[in-house]
Amino acid sequence: MAFTLYSLLQAALLCVNAIAVLHEERFLKNIGWGTDQGIGGFGEEPGIKSQLMNLIRSVRTVMRVPLIIVNSIAIVLLLLFG
Amino acid sequence: MADPHQLFDDTSSAQNRGYGAQRAPGSLGYPAASTLPQAAFLADPMSNMAMAYGSSLAAQGKELVDKNIDRFIPVTKLKYYFAVDTLYVGKKLGLLFFPYLHQDWEVQYQQDTPVAPRFDVNAPDLYIPAMAFITYVLVAGLALGTQDRFSPDLLGLQASSALAWLTLEVLAILLSLYLVTVNTDLTTIDLVAFLGYKYVGMIGGILMGLLFGKIGYYVVLGWCCVSIFVFMIRTLRLKILAEAAAEGVPVRGARNQLRMYLTMAVAATQPLLMYWLTFHLVR
Repeated sequence: MAFTLYSLLQAALLCVNAIAVLHEERFLKNIGWGTDQGIGGFGEEPGIKSQLMNLIRSVRTVMRVPLIIVNSIAIVLLLLFG
Repeated sequence: MADPHQLFDDTSSAQNRGYGAQRAPGSLGYPAASTLPQAAFLADPMSNMAMAYGSSLAAQGKELVDKNIDRFIPVTKLKYYFAVDTLYVGKKLGLLFFPYLHQDWEVQYQQDTPVAPRFDVNAPDLYIPAMAFITYVLVAGLALGTQDRFSPDLLGLQASSALAWLTLEVLAILLSLYLVTVNTDLTTIDLVAFLGYKYVGMIGGILMGLLFGKIGYYVVLGWCCVSIFVFMIRTLRLKILAEAAAEGVPVRGARNQLRMYLTMAVAATQPLLMYWLTFHLVR
């Protein structure tokens, strides 16, 4: 059971990559998860779906540049050390 | 009883007196075993100045670190979690193994801040989880050793594996708390403390498994699993669910139901992880 911290980091990187590649126009709008389709009423607490959509949108905006850097580092490390 | 605002006893006055005597540069506080050439070296004015300069640099560096450490590691907040004493540890361990008779699970507050763990057995602490984690790694090494499967790097593997599962749990719970929009005062460190309490049950299970074989392991692990389940539900109910529901009123509405499901899910993962992290150690 070799579940190490490093494999946790790799899994986290892959998950964040997966969230970041969800395309807004081609995919999210088609399943009704676009950012302009989710604005619920003001005052009521947001449901899970709008929280998720907010999360996806913020991951895409915030993590775009850091993901480029971290992915490059991961690629180099994997090439060097396998 | 000491002032509840004070987390630890103040022993600084004794320390300061000791430091003040030794701080004077060029003092002859060095051990009497210094030979003559060394004494001559120290008496040289250049080295006096160098020593004074070096000690002032060190003092500046220490000030800088002290000022900035709070930004990266919340040291002052961490101190709260280690303000425990033997009586608290004893009562808490008893509560972890037998939470069924305890009536009042609320943490007492004192002017908006929770009381230190020393004064309230319901408050979370980090001492027990930290000690239990280290003991778990050592007991795992012991268990592997009795089965001739031990090698030193396995210890590190066990430790990092358990730590990785803990991190994963904390992240998953934080994510689900965010999704369900719970307005709770459950901080991350609180969560780490609560999730670390299961190591106590795991240690009990492994030790019984070493002494009495698989039967003892399953009996004690089953008991500890149920206890941790009840403990987590009763503790988290107060933190996650709304106040009205915490008093035993049946939950109403979709939101409260979701929170109840979340509490049950968190409490249910504890026994699962307890079994997953220990079953390979007992043969």
